[in-house]
Amino acid sequence: MEQVLTVKDLFYTYESGRSRVEALRGISFSVNEGEIFGFIGPNGAGKTTTIKHLLGILNKQKGELSVLNGDPADPSTRKKVGYMPETADYYRYLTPGELLLIYGDIFGIKRSVLRPRIKELLDLVDISYASGRLMKTFSKGMMQKVSFAQALINDPDLLILDEPTGGLDPVARRKMRDVIHTLRERGKTVFFSSHELSEVELVSDRIAILNKGRLMAFGPVKELLGGKEEAETLENYFLNIIEGGA
Amino acid sequence: MRTIWAISREMLMELIRKKDFYVLLILMLVLLGFLSSQSFFQVQGVERYIRDFGYSLVMFFSFLIAVIFCAKQLPAEIESRTIYPLLAKPLSRFKLILGKYTGGVMVSAIAFTLFYSVYAAFYILGGGGRNFVLLFQGYIFGVMFLCMVAALVIFLSNFLTMSANVALSALLYVVINGFSTVLRDGALMYKGPVSVLYGIMYYLVPHLEFYDLRIRIAHGWDPVIAWVVWAVIVYTFVYCFFLLYFAGLIFKRKRL
Repeated sequence: MEQVLTVKDLFYTYESGRSRVEALRGISFSVNEGEIFGFIGPNGAGKTTTIKHLLGILNKQKGELSVLNGDPADPSTRKKVGYMPETADYYRYLTPGELLLIYGDIFGIKRSVLRPRIKELLDLVDISYASGRLMKTFSKGMMQKVSFAQALINDPDLLILDEPTGGLDPVARRKMRDVIHTLRERGKTVFFSSHELSEVELVSDRIAILNKGRLMAFGPVKELLGGKEEAETLENYFLNIIEGGA
Repeated sequence: MRTIWAISREMLMELIRKKDFYVLLILMLVLLGFLSSQSFFQVQGVERYIRDFGYSLVMFFSFLIAVIFCAKQLPAEIESRTIYPLLAKPLSRFKLILGKYTGGVMVSAIAFTLFYSVYAAFYILGGGGRNFVLLFQGYIFGVMFLCMVAALVIFLSNFLTMSANVALSALLYVVINGFSTVLRDGALMYKGPVSVLYGIMYYLVPHLEFYDLRIRIAHGWDPVIAWVVWAVIVYTFVYCFFLLYFAGLIFKRKRL
Protein backbone atom coordinates (compact mmCIF):
# COMPACT_ATOMS: atom_id res chain seq x y z
CA MET A 1 0.00 0.00 0.00
CA GLU A 2 1.35 3.39 -0.95
CA GLN A 3 2.24 5.86 1.76
CA VAL A 4 0.61 9.25 1.22
CA LEU A 5 2.19 10.89 4.19
CA THR A 6 5.52 10.25 5.89
CA VAL A 7 7.13 12.00 8.79
CA LYS A 8 10.64 11.02 9.82
CA ASP A 9 12.58 12.34 12.82
CA LEU A 10 10.73 15.63 12.85
CA PHE A 11 11.96 18.15 15.39
CA TYR A 12 10.64 21.61 16.04
CA THR A 13 11.66 24.11 18.69
CA TYR A 14 10.68 27.72 19.12
CA GLU A 15 11.30 30.60 21.47
CA SER A 16 8.47 31.66 23.75
CA GLY A 17 9.52 34.70 25.73
CA ARG A 18 12.81 33.70 27.33
CA SER A 19 12.17 29.98 27.25
CA ARG A 20 12.79 27.48 24.51
CA VAL A 21 9.92 25.12 23.73
CA GLU A 22 10.62 21.73 22.18
CA ALA A 23 7.32 21.21 20.41
CA LEU A 24 8.35 18.10 18.46
CA ARG A 25 11.14 15.78 19.54
CA GLY A 26 11.90 13.52 16.63
CA ILE A 27 8.52 12.03 15.73
CA SER A 28 8.19 9.48 12.93
CA PHE A 29 5.09 7.88 11.43
CA SER A 30 3.48 7.22 8.09
CA VAL A 31 -0.07 7.13 6.77
CA ASN A 32 -1.16 4.69 4.08
CA GLU A 33 -3.38 5.47 1.15
CA GLY A 34 -7.08 4.93 1.86
CA GLU A 35 -6.85 4.68 5.64
CA ILE A 36 -8.34 6.71 8.44
CA PHE A 37 -5.57 7.77 10.75
CA GLY A 38 -6.26 9.13 14.23
CA PHE A 39 -3.75 11.51 15.77
CA ILE A 40 -4.33 11.96 19.48
CA GLY A 41 -2.67 13.55 22.44
CA PRO A 42 -3.34 15.93 25.33
CA ASN A 43 -3.28 19.71 24.91
CA GLY A 44 0.16 20.96 23.98
CA ALA A 45 1.31 17.53 22.78
CA GLY A 46 2.35 18.91 19.38
CA LYS A 47 -0.59 17.76 17.25
CA THR A 48 -1.34 21.12 15.66
CA THR A 49 2.39 21.81 15.19
CA THR A 50 2.65 18.53 13.28
CA ILE A 51 -0.39 19.41 11.17
CA LYS A 52 1.07 22.84 10.39
CA HIS A 53 4.17 21.06 9.09
CA LEU A 54 2.06 18.75 6.94
CA LEU A 55 0.39 21.80 5.39
CA GLY A 56 3.59 23.73 4.81
CA ILE A 57 2.49 26.46 7.22
CA LEU A 58 5.56 25.81 9.38
CA ASN A 59 8.93 25.23 7.78
CA LYS A 60 10.67 22.13 9.03
CA GLN A 61 13.83 22.67 11.07
CA LYS A 62 15.05 19.10 11.18
CA GLY A 63 13.64 15.86 9.81
CA GLU A 64 11.91 14.64 6.69
CA LEU A 65 8.39 15.21 5.48
CA SER A 66 6.49 13.99 2.48
CA VAL A 67 2.85 14.62 1.62
CA LEU A 68 1.38 12.94 -1.49
CA ASN A 69 4.97 12.33 -2.63
CA GLY A 70 5.77 16.02 -2.51
CA ASP A 71 7.19 18.67 -0.25
CA PRO A 72 4.34 20.33 1.69
CA ALA A 73 6.19 23.65 1.50
CA ASP A 74 5.56 23.61 -2.25
CA PRO A 75 2.05 25.06 -2.86
CA SER A 76 1.38 22.67 -5.76
CA THR A 77 1.63 19.70 -3.33
CA ARG A 78 -1.43 21.05 -1.56
CA LYS A 79 -3.65 20.88 -4.64
CA LYS A 80 -5.06 17.53 -3.51
CA VAL A 81 -5.05 18.21 0.21
CA GLY A 82 -8.11 19.32 2.18
CA TYR A 83 -7.78 20.90 5.61
CA MET A 84 -10.28 21.65 8.32
CA PRO A 85 -8.78 23.74 11.16
CA GLU A 86 -9.45 23.31 14.85
CA THR A 87 -11.09 26.69 15.28
CA ALA A 88 -13.43 27.53 12.48
CA ASP A 89 -13.90 31.26 12.00
CA TYR A 90 -14.39 32.44 8.46
CA TYR A 91 -15.01 35.78 6.80
CA ARG A 92 -18.08 37.12 8.52
CA TYR A 93 -19.26 39.29 5.65
CA LEU A 94 -19.52 36.40 3.23
CA THR A 95 -22.14 33.71 2.75
CA PRO A 96 -20.96 30.06 2.85
CA GLY A 97 -21.41 29.82 -0.92
CA GLU A 98 -19.23 32.89 -1.52
CA LEU A 99 -16.54 31.48 0.78
CA LEU A 100 -16.49 28.17 -1.09
CA LEU A 101 -16.37 30.04 -4.39
CA ILE A 102 -13.29 31.97 -3.25
CA TYR A 103 -11.56 28.80 -2.05
CA GLY A 104 -12.52 26.97 -5.24
CA ASP A 105 -11.01 29.79 -7.28
CA ILE A 106 -7.77 29.51 -5.30
CA PHE A 107 -7.65 25.82 -6.27
CA GLY A 108 -8.23 26.87 -9.87
CA ILE A 109 -11.39 24.77 -10.20
CA LYS A 110 -13.46 25.62 -13.26
CA ARG A 111 -16.62 27.58 -12.46
CA SER A 112 -18.77 25.06 -14.34
CA VAL A 113 -17.51 22.35 -11.96
CA LEU A 114 -17.38 24.58 -8.92
CA ARG A 115 -20.98 25.85 -8.83
CA PRO A 116 -22.66 22.41 -8.66
CA ARG A 117 -19.93 21.22 -6.27
CA ILE A 118 -20.68 24.05 -3.85
CA LYS A 119 -24.37 23.19 -3.85
CA GLU A 120 -23.56 19.52 -3.33
CA LEU A 121 -21.25 20.29 -0.40
CA LEU A 122 -23.67 22.66 1.29
CA ASP A 123 -26.29 19.92 1.06
CA LEU A 124 -23.83 17.34 2.34
CA VAL A 125 -23.07 19.28 5.53
CA ASP A 126 -26.72 20.33 5.99
CA ILE A 127 -26.11 24.05 5.75
CA SER A 128 -27.90 24.80 2.47
CA TYR A 129 -30.86 26.25 4.40
CA ALA A 130 -28.53 29.09 5.48
CA SER A 131 -26.62 29.43 2.22
CA GLY A 132 -27.85 32.99 1.63
CA ARG A 133 -27.00 34.24 5.11
CA LEU A 134 -23.85 36.08 6.10
CA MET A 135 -21.62 33.95 8.31
CA LYS A 136 -21.57 36.61 11.04
CA THR A 137 -24.95 35.20 12.10
CA PHE A 138 -23.69 31.59 12.29
CA SER A 139 -23.32 29.52 15.45
CA LYS A 140 -20.12 27.59 16.21
CA GLY A 141 -21.64 24.36 14.95
CA MET A 142 -22.74 25.98 11.68
CA MET A 143 -19.25 27.40 11.19
CA GLN A 144 -17.83 23.93 11.80
CA LYS A 145 -20.06 22.55 9.03
CA VAL A 146 -18.90 25.27 6.63
CA SER A 147 -15.35 24.45 7.66
CA PHE A 148 -15.87 20.79 6.78
CA ALA A 149 -17.41 21.76 3.42
CA GLN A 150 -14.47 23.99 2.50
CA ALA A 151 -12.05 21.16 3.29
CA LEU A 152 -13.78 19.07 0.62
CA ILE A 153 -14.05 21.74 -2.09
CA ASN A 154 -11.13 20.34 -4.14
CA ASP A 155 -12.20 16.68 -3.78
CA PRO A 156 -8.96 16.00 -1.86
CA ASP A 157 -6.99 12.76 -1.89
CA LEU A 158 -5.76 13.54 1.61
CA LEU A 159 -8.05 15.15 4.14
CA ILE A 160 -6.49 16.63 7.28
CA LEU A 161 -8.98 17.36 10.06
CA ASP A 162 -7.94 19.11 13.25
CA GLU A 163 -10.50 18.44 16.01
CA PRO A 164 -13.32 18.14 13.49
CA THR A 165 -16.20 17.27 15.80
CA GLY A 166 -15.81 20.08 18.36
CA GLY A 167 -19.00 22.17 18.49
CA LEU A 168 -21.07 19.70 16.50
CA ASP A 169 -24.31 18.17 17.75
CA PRO A 170 -24.61 14.33 17.84
CA VAL A 171 -26.51 14.23 14.55
CA ALA A 172 -23.88 16.30 12.77
CA ARG A 173 -21.12 14.18 14.32
CA ARG A 174 -22.66 11.03 12.99
CA LYS A 175 -23.07 12.65 9.60
CA MET A 176 -19.41 13.62 9.58
CA ARG A 177 -18.43 10.09 10.55
CA ASP A 178 -20.50 8.75 7.66
CA VAL A 179 -18.86 11.17 5.24
CA ILE A 180 -15.41 10.14 6.47
CA HIS A 181 -16.27 6.46 5.89
CA THR A 182 -17.64 7.27 2.43
CA LEU A 183 -14.42 9.07 1.61
CA ARG A 184 -12.39 6.03 2.64
CA GLU A 185 -14.56 3.81 0.46
CA ARG A 186 -13.65 6.13 -2.43
CA GLY A 187 -9.96 5.56 -1.70
CA LYS A 188 -9.33 8.86 0.08
CA THR A 189 -7.05 9.15 3.08
CA VAL A 190 -8.20 10.88 6.25
CA PHE A 191 -5.80 12.14 8.89
CA PHE A 192 -7.50 13.59 11.91
CA SER A 193 -6.61 14.79 15.36
CA SER A 194 -9.09 14.69 18.18
CA HIS A 195 -9.64 14.75 21.93
CA GLU A 196 -12.77 12.67 21.45
CA LEU A 197 -11.25 9.25 22.04
CA SER A 198 -14.53 7.38 21.51
CA GLU A 199 -14.77 9.11 18.12
CA VAL A 200 -11.22 8.11 17.25
CA GLU A 201 -11.85 4.52 18.34
CA LEU A 202 -14.97 4.38 16.16
CA VAL A 203 -13.47 5.58 12.91
CA SER A 204 -9.70 5.03 12.89
CA ASP A 205 -7.81 2.21 11.26
CA ARG A 206 -4.56 3.23 12.89
CA ILE A 207 -3.63 5.80 15.50
CA ALA A 208 -0.62 7.68 16.79
CA ILE A 209 -0.46 8.99 20.35
CA LEU A 210 1.62 12.07 20.93
CA ASN A 211 2.69 13.49 24.28
CA LYS A 212 5.04 16.40 24.94
CA GLY A 213 6.33 16.27 21.39
CA ARG A 214 7.15 12.56 21.49
CA LEU A 215 5.37 9.72 19.76
CA MET A 216 4.23 7.35 22.51
CA ALA A 217 2.37 4.73 20.48
CA PHE A 218 1.63 4.05 16.85
CA GLY A 219 -0.30 1.27 15.13
CA PRO A 220 -3.70 -0.29 14.42
CA VAL A 221 -6.26 0.47 17.17
CA LYS A 222 -7.16 -3.18 17.77
CA GLU A 223 -3.52 -4.22 17.98
CA LEU A 224 -2.67 -1.49 20.46
CA LEU A 225 -5.68 -2.19 22.67
CA GLY A 226 -5.20 -5.96 22.52
CA GLY A 227 -1.59 -5.69 23.66
CA LYS A 228 -2.43 -4.47 27.15
CA GLU A 229 -4.26 -6.45 29.82
CA GLU A 230 -6.19 -3.64 31.50
CA ALA A 231 -6.77 -1.48 28.49
CA GLU A 232 -10.14 -2.43 27.08
CA THR A 233 -10.94 1.02 25.80
CA LEU A 234 -8.86 3.56 23.97
CA GLU A 235 -9.47 6.01 26.79
CA ASN A 236 -7.87 3.69 29.36
CA TYR A 237 -5.01 2.93 27.04
CA PHE A 238 -4.48 6.62 26.31
CA LEU A 239 -4.50 7.57 30.01
CA ASN A 240 -2.08 4.78 30.88
CA ILE A 241 0.32 5.92 28.21
CA ILE A 242 0.08 9.63 28.98
CA GLU A 243 0.28 9.24 32.77
CA GLY A 244 2.98 6.62 32.48
CA GLY A 245 5.01 8.81 30.19
CA ALA A 246 4.53 12.00 32.19
CA MET B 1 -4.37 36.13 -11.40
CA ARG B 2 -7.54 34.26 -10.47
CA THR B 3 -6.06 33.45 -7.07
CA ILE B 4 -5.20 37.07 -6.40
CA TRP B 5 -8.66 38.19 -7.49
CA ALA B 6 -10.24 35.52 -5.25
CA ILE B 7 -8.41 36.85 -2.19
CA SER B 8 -9.18 40.48 -2.94
CA ARG B 9 -12.86 39.72 -3.57
CA GLU B 10 -13.42 39.09 0.11
CA MET B 11 -12.28 42.65 0.90
CA LEU B 12 -14.57 44.06 -1.75
CA MET B 13 -17.59 42.25 -0.30
CA GLU B 14 -16.70 43.61 3.12
CA LEU B 15 -16.57 47.18 1.77
CA ILE B 16 -19.99 46.78 0.20
CA ARG B 17 -21.58 45.11 3.21
CA LYS B 18 -20.12 47.15 6.05
CA LYS B 19 -21.45 50.59 6.93
CA ASP B 20 -18.12 52.43 7.22
CA PHE B 21 -17.89 53.44 3.58
CA TYR B 22 -21.49 54.70 3.41
CA VAL B 23 -21.02 56.75 6.57
CA LEU B 24 -17.96 58.47 5.08
CA LEU B 25 -19.79 59.12 1.80
CA ILE B 26 -22.79 60.66 3.56
CA LEU B 27 -20.51 62.71 5.82
CA MET B 28 -18.69 64.07 2.78
CA LEU B 29 -21.93 64.93 1.01
CA VAL B 30 -23.18 66.76 4.09
CA LEU B 31 -19.94 68.72 4.56
CA LEU B 32 -19.63 69.69 0.91
CA GLY B 33 -23.33 70.56 0.76
CA PHE B 34 -23.00 72.74 3.83
CA LEU B 35 -19.95 74.54 2.45
CA SER B 36 -21.63 75.05 -0.92
CA SER B 37 -24.58 76.67 0.81
CA GLN B 38 -22.14 79.31 2.13
CA SER B 39 -21.26 80.06 -1.47
CA PHE B 40 -24.96 80.42 -2.21
CA PHE B 41 -25.18 83.07 0.52
CA GLN B 42 -22.34 84.88 -1.29
CA VAL B 43 -19.69 84.66 1.36
CA GLN B 44 -16.62 86.25 -0.27
CA GLY B 45 -13.90 83.88 -1.60
CA VAL B 46 -15.46 80.78 -0.19
CA GLU B 47 -15.36 78.78 -3.46
CA ARG B 48 -11.61 78.30 -3.35
CA TYR B 49 -11.82 77.28 0.25
CA ILE B 50 -14.51 74.72 -0.60
CA ARG B 51 -12.38 73.29 -3.39
CA ASP B 52 -9.37 73.10 -1.11
CA PHE B 53 -11.26 71.60 1.82
CA GLY B 54 -13.25 69.21 -0.39
CA TYR B 55 -10.11 67.82 -1.99
CA SER B 56 -8.49 67.30 1.42
CA LEU B 57 -11.64 65.55 2.59
CA VAL B 58 -11.68 63.18 -0.39
CA MET B 59 -8.01 62.30 0.09
CA PHE B 60 -8.35 61.88 3.84
CA PHE B 61 -11.44 59.64 3.68
CA SER B 62 -9.90 57.49 0.94
CA PHE B 63 -6.68 57.30 2.94
CA LEU B 64 -8.70 56.16 5.97
CA ILE B 65 -10.39 53.38 4.01
CA ALA B 66 -7.09 52.22 2.51
CA VAL B 67 -5.33 52.21 5.88
CA ILE B 68 -8.12 50.56 7.86
CA PHE B 69 -8.77 47.85 5.29
CA CYS B 70 -5.11 47.05 4.68
CA ALA B 71 -3.95 47.32 8.29
CA LYS B 72 -6.36 44.72 9.57
CA GLN B 73 -5.83 42.12 6.87
CA LEU B 74 -2.86 40.09 8.11
CA PRO B 75 -3.31 40.63 11.88
CA ALA B 76 -7.03 39.79 11.68
CA GLU B 77 -6.40 36.72 9.54
CA ILE B 78 -3.82 35.49 12.05
CA GLU B 79 -5.94 36.32 15.10
CA SER B 80 -9.11 34.71 13.77
CA ARG B 81 -7.03 31.86 12.30
CA THR B 82 -8.64 32.22 8.88
CA ILE B 83 -5.06 32.32 7.62
CA TYR B 84 -4.61 28.57 8.19
CA PRO B 85 -7.25 27.21 5.78
CA LEU B 86 -6.07 29.86 3.32
CA LEU B 87 -2.39 28.86 3.49
CA ALA B 88 -3.34 25.17 3.42
CA LYS B 89 -4.45 25.77 -0.16
CA PRO B 90 -2.09 25.91 -3.14
CA LEU B 91 -1.21 29.49 -2.39
CA SER B 92 2.22 30.96 -1.70
CA ARG B 93 2.65 33.63 0.93
CA PHE B 94 3.78 36.08 -1.75
CA LYS B 95 0.49 35.58 -3.59
CA LEU B 96 -1.42 36.09 -0.37
CA ILE B 97 0.35 39.43 0.17
CA LEU B 98 -0.34 40.39 -3.43
CA GLY B 99 -4.01 39.42 -3.08
CA LYS B 100 -4.39 41.48 0.07
CA TYR B 101 -2.65 44.42 -1.58
CA THR B 102 -4.83 44.21 -4.69
CA GLY B 103 -7.90 44.06 -2.48
CA GLY B 104 -6.75 47.08 -0.49
CA VAL B 105 -6.08 49.10 -3.62
CA MET B 106 -9.36 47.99 -5.15
CA VAL B 107 -11.60 48.92 -2.22
CA SER B 108 -9.89 52.24 -1.60
CA ALA B 109 -9.87 53.09 -5.33
CA ILE B 110 -13.60 52.33 -5.59
CA ALA B 111 -14.31 54.49 -2.55
CA PHE B 112 -12.03 57.22 -3.92
CA THR B 113 -13.75 57.12 -7.32
CA LEU B 114 -17.12 57.74 -5.69
CA PHE B 115 -15.80 60.44 -3.34
CA TYR B 116 -13.92 62.12 -6.16
CA SER B 117 -16.95 62.04 -8.48
CA VAL B 118 -18.98 63.87 -5.85
CA TYR B 119 -16.14 66.34 -5.39
CA ALA B 120 -15.77 66.88 -9.15
CA ALA B 121 -19.51 67.53 -9.43
CA PHE B 122 -19.33 70.13 -6.65
CA TYR B 123 -16.19 71.58 -8.26
CA ILE B 124 -17.75 72.05 -11.69
CA LEU B 125 -21.15 73.19 -10.45
CA GLY B 126 -19.53 75.51 -7.92
CA GLY B 127 -17.79 77.53 -10.63
CA GLY B 128 -14.41 75.80 -10.56
CA GLY B 129 -14.34 75.73 -14.34
CA ARG B 130 -14.23 72.78 -16.66
CA ASN B 131 -10.60 71.95 -16.23
CA PHE B 132 -11.14 68.27 -16.99
CA VAL B 133 -7.46 67.51 -17.63
CA LEU B 134 -6.49 68.77 -14.20
CA LEU B 135 -9.40 66.94 -12.57
CA PHE B 136 -8.39 63.74 -14.36
CA GLN B 137 -4.81 64.20 -13.20
CA GLY B 138 -6.12 64.65 -9.68
CA TYR B 139 -7.90 61.33 -10.04
CA ILE B 140 -4.80 59.53 -11.35
CA PHE B 141 -2.64 61.00 -8.59
CA GLY B 142 -5.26 59.98 -6.04
CA VAL B 143 -5.23 56.36 -7.21
CA MET B 144 -1.41 56.33 -7.21
CA PHE B 145 -1.47 57.75 -3.69
CA LEU B 146 -3.72 54.89 -2.57
CA CYS B 147 -1.47 52.30 -4.27
CA MET B 148 1.44 53.69 -2.27
CA VAL B 149 -0.48 53.87 1.03
CA ALA B 150 -1.82 50.30 0.62
CA ALA B 151 1.69 48.93 -0.07
CA LEU B 152 3.13 50.79 2.90
CA VAL B 153 0.40 49.60 5.28
CA ILE B 154 0.57 45.97 4.08
CA PHE B 155 4.35 46.10 4.62
CA LEU B 156 3.92 47.50 8.13
CA SER B 157 1.22 44.94 9.00
CA ASN B 158 3.98 42.32 9.16
CA PHE B 159 5.14 43.95 12.39
CA LEU B 160 2.24 45.96 13.79
CA THR B 161 -1.23 45.36 15.14
CA MET B 162 -4.06 47.07 13.32
CA SER B 163 -4.35 50.03 15.69
CA ALA B 164 -0.59 50.60 15.82
CA ASN B 165 -0.42 50.41 12.04
CA VAL B 166 -3.25 52.93 11.57
CA ALA B 167 -1.63 55.30 14.05
CA LEU B 168 1.85 55.01 12.51
CA SER B 169 0.53 55.36 8.96
CA ALA B 170 -1.42 58.49 9.90
CA LEU B 171 1.67 59.89 11.59
CA LEU B 172 3.84 59.11 8.55
CA TYR B 173 1.26 60.79 6.31
CA VAL B 174 1.35 63.98 8.36
CA VAL B 175 5.12 64.00 8.85
CA ILE B 176 6.00 63.22 5.24
CA ASN B 177 3.52 65.73 3.87
CA GLY B 178 4.78 68.42 6.18
CA PHE B 179 8.47 67.77 6.61
CA SER B 180 9.95 65.84 3.68
CA THR B 181 11.38 69.08 2.27
CA VAL B 182 13.35 69.43 5.50
CA LEU B 183 15.30 66.31 4.50
CA ARG B 184 15.98 67.67 1.03
CA ASP B 185 17.05 71.04 2.43
CA GLY B 186 19.25 69.26 4.98
CA ALA B 187 20.99 67.32 2.22
CA LEU B 188 21.67 70.56 0.35
CA MET B 189 22.55 72.68 3.36
CA TYR B 190 24.99 70.39 5.20
CA LYS B 191 28.19 68.81 3.94
CA GLY B 192 29.86 65.43 4.41
CA PRO B 193 28.20 62.45 6.16
CA VAL B 194 25.30 64.54 7.52
CA SER B 195 24.40 65.61 4.00
CA VAL B 196 24.61 61.96 2.83
CA LEU B 197 22.41 60.87 5.73
CA TYR B 198 19.77 63.48 4.91
CA GLY B 199 20.00 62.49 1.25
CA ILE B 200 19.52 58.79 1.97
CA MET B 201 16.56 59.51 4.20
CA TYR B 202 15.04 61.77 1.59
CA TYR B 203 15.23 59.10 -1.09
CA LEU B 204 14.07 56.30 1.21
CA VAL B 205 10.86 57.82 2.57
CA PRO B 206 7.74 57.37 0.46
CA HIS B 207 6.97 60.83 -0.91
CA LEU B 208 3.26 61.05 -0.29
CA GLU B 209 3.40 64.79 -0.97
CA PHE B 210 4.06 64.04 -4.67
CA TYR B 211 0.40 63.10 -5.06
CA ASP B 212 -1.03 66.25 -3.52
CA LEU B 213 -2.67 68.41 -6.21
CA ARG B 214 -4.81 70.24 -3.69
CA ILE B 215 -3.48 73.75 -4.23
CA ARG B 216 -3.30 73.36 -8.01
CA ILE B 217 -6.92 72.18 -8.16
CA ALA B 218 -8.22 74.71 -5.63
CA HIS B 219 -6.70 77.61 -7.54
CA GLY B 220 -7.56 76.21 -10.95
CA TRP B 221 -3.96 76.33 -12.16
CA ASP B 222 -2.70 74.65 -15.34
CA PRO B 223 -2.47 70.83 -15.41
CA VAL B 224 0.77 69.10 -14.43
CA ILE B 225 3.12 68.56 -17.40
CA ALA B 226 2.90 65.06 -18.86
CA TRP B 227 6.40 63.78 -18.00
CA VAL B 228 5.88 64.61 -14.33
CA VAL B 229 2.68 62.55 -14.33
CA TRP B 230 4.53 59.61 -15.87
CA ALA B 231 7.43 60.03 -13.47
CA VAL B 232 5.05 59.90 -10.50
CA ILE B 233 3.38 56.76 -11.90
CA VAL B 234 6.74 55.02 -12.43
CA TYR B 235 7.92 56.13 -8.98
CA THR B 236 4.77 54.62 -7.43
CA PHE B 237 5.14 51.29 -9.20
CA VAL B 238 8.82 50.94 -8.36
CA TYR B 239 8.33 51.89 -4.72
CA CYS B 240 5.31 49.59 -4.33
CA PHE B 241 7.19 46.72 -5.98
CA PHE B 242 9.98 46.95 -3.41
CA LEU B 243 7.61 47.38 -0.48
CA LEU B 244 5.57 44.33 -1.49
CA TYR B 245 8.66 42.28 -2.26
CA PHE B 246 10.05 42.90 1.22
CA ALA B 247 6.60 42.42 2.76
CA GLY B 248 6.43 39.01 1.07
CA LEU B 249 9.94 38.06 2.18
CA ILE B 250 9.21 38.97 5.79
CA PHE B 251 5.83 37.27 5.77
CA LYS B 252 7.37 34.12 4.30
CA ARG B 253 9.68 33.86 7.31
CA LYS B 254 6.99 34.70 9.83
CA ARG B 255 6.08 31.87 12.21
CA LEU B 256 2.34 31.34 12.15
